[in-house]
Amino acid sequence: MKIADLQIDVRDGVVIATVAGEIDMSNADELRIALESHITNDALGLVIDLSSVRYVDSVGIQLLYELRQRLSTRGQKLALAVPPGSAAEKTLRLVNAVEYLGIVNTPDKAAAAVNGT
Amino acid sequence: VNRPSEHSDGSGGPGEGQVFLGSGTEAPLLPRPDQLTHIYQLSDPALSELGLDRLLNELLTRVREVLSVDTVAILLVDHETRELVARAAKGIEEEVEAGVRIPLGKGFAGRIAVERKPIYIADVDHADVLNPILREKGIQSLLGVPMIVESEIVGVLHVGSLRPRVFTNEDAAVLQLAAVQAGPAIERARLFEALEREHRDAVALQRSLLPERLPEVFGVRVAARYFPARDEVGGDWYDVIELQNGLIGIAIGDVVGHGVRAAALMGQLRTALRAYALEGYEPARALERLNLLLGSIRGRGMATVAYGIFDPETGVLRLASAGHPPPLVVSDAGDARFIETSGDTPLGVIDYATFHQTEAMLEGGDTLLLYTDGLVEVRGESLDAGLGRLLETSQSAPSAEDLCRQISDGMVPRGGGSDDIAFVAVQQAPASRTLHLHLPADPSVLARMRHALRRWLHAQGLAEDEIGEITLACGEACANAIEHAYAPRLASFELEAGESADLLTVAVRDMGKWRAPRGRNRGRGITIMEALMDDVQVNPSPNGTEVLMRRKLGSKR
Repeated sequence: MKIADLQIDVRDGVVIATVAGEIDMSNADELRIALESHITNDALGLVIDLSSVRYVDSVGIQLLYELRQRLSTRGQKLALAVPPGSAAEKTLRLVNAVEYLGIVNTPDKAAAAVNGT
Repeated sequence: VNRPSEHSDGSGGPGEGQVFLGSGTEAPLLPRPDQLTHIYQLSDPALSELGLDRLLNELLTRVREVLSVDTVAILLVDHETRELVARAAKGIEEEVEAGVRIPLGKGFAGRIAVERKPIYIADVDHADVLNPILREKGIQSLLGVPMIVESEIVGVLHVGSLRPRVFTNEDAAVLQLAAVQAGPAIERARLFEALEREHRDAVALQRSLLPERLPEVFGVRVAARYFPARDEVGGDWYDVIELQNGLIGIAIGDVVGHGVRAAALMGQLRTALRAYALEGYEPARALERLNLLLGSIRGRGMATVAYGIFDPETGVLRLASAGHPPPLVVSDAGDARFIETSGDTPLGVIDYATFHQTEAMLEGGDTLLLYTDGLVEVRGESLDAGLGRLLETSQSAPSAEDLCRQISDGMVPRGGGSDDIAFVAVQQAPASRTLHLHLPADPSVLARMRHALRRWLHAQGLAEDEIGEITLACGEACANAIEHAYAPRLASFELEAGESADLLTVAVRDMGKWRAPRGRNRGRGITIMEALMDDVQVNPSPNGTEVLMRRKLGSKR
């Protein structure tokens, strides 16, 4: 059963990934592989829009940590679009990951954070 | 008027000298008008609807009366074996009972059929008569005529006398007239009979292919109906299959076409789908395989199928449809609505067709209905009208059985419709006071667990925020249980939840060894549980680990 959908868009050198559904240990690996496959060498970075995620647990947070590390070794940035009150925001706060991973409200703001405009 | 013609076969066998002589005489060939009335009536089309046996009985009785003969018999051509088969007789019933068969061209009747001419035998004892019963019966004289319909020989009608009798031209003309008048009716009746036999056999075949009984699944109500078509056998079927982990497979299908072939193909598809279902294939994958299988069947065919897997624990229905009419759901409150499916192509159209899955949720008391198009397709009416009527008829059905009854009473024509009709209903049990889930230790069950838990928490009247938080804490506990499983394919874990005096208690038990959280990830899991619940205890034991969590309800975090 597919519990999350992934949509990829590239704008001004920034890969924008929109995830909808649920992220847990059943699909976190697949999701990470899918996301990484879309990050080209010339991409400035990755925006993950988590607005439509209704469930994400600690495994999903681990995925974000891993992605951030992978990107930073390549000099690419990660930005998360997480609106206040969303499921993703709750989980990120519970594990004190908000500051480290950095979140903004909208995908546009996240994209701006990645390409430095 | 059928003028008997002279017979001379040149064989010169004993007794054959007294063949019927007709030509050259100027004597009137027609029998008296009063005799004819009875015979003309034999062409009444209504007679063929009597069924072949009664029609023949009527024919023989009249012929015996009109010609004042002792015996009368009719043999029909079996085109496959090229034989005449005794089908009905009067005064010589043994012929039929013995199932006498005469090869075409042989003996008295056989020659009549091939030569298509009347034959008169004055002295049976000295004639070429194959059938021993004619002799044993003591028949002295015989007269027989061919029955020809649209220039095809269909049988032989013959009369006999126990005393030597000279059959006149008039007698022959009457008998020939009877044969001519009754021939088409007999052919019609024969065809009718063959069709009826096929119909009966096909209905029996189809019935034998439908489930003998529906499975009884705890907490789920199942009901189904099948109505054969009025005239023809169709290829509709339904199935309810108990799958692993308490899942239920629900299938409905409709082979395009009618008759025994459609019913037989239906049987193949039903069995194959059942096998794929039991193998654990998801609905879309099962339909893809079924489609490939159909492509490999000689003469193939087309079918629409809907197959769904329903999880009574979670209320989740995963459904795929190969061109089948939309499933219907009647809510606990009685509202009926259709579930939208992706509307993929019917089976048998494209070899490597892919199918898509739709997911729907059946809340406590909701009933799912799958049906075939015979229910909603009425000639001269739009499909929408039929669907609308189904929607209306299904309103406020309190149970699966009631729904089936409402639809049977309200939508199925008496005596069957022009198409066959099948439908099957599955009802989700109302929510219970405690939740008990027993799940395989596989990450894929986490989503199902969350659905079940959410459904149950909803039913307990919790707020959305609380539901989300408790679900997250339990998700972490269950993820731990799955990680602990040392034999992932066989292991399982359970979740038990109950609520009393606004205190929620959740226990997650696995059969594995508790391992201290490794790395930041699992550490985060424990952090989440502790942040969201008032109390978290980890109770390891030799048999497994129990995580016990409590939370006071109605409190803000």
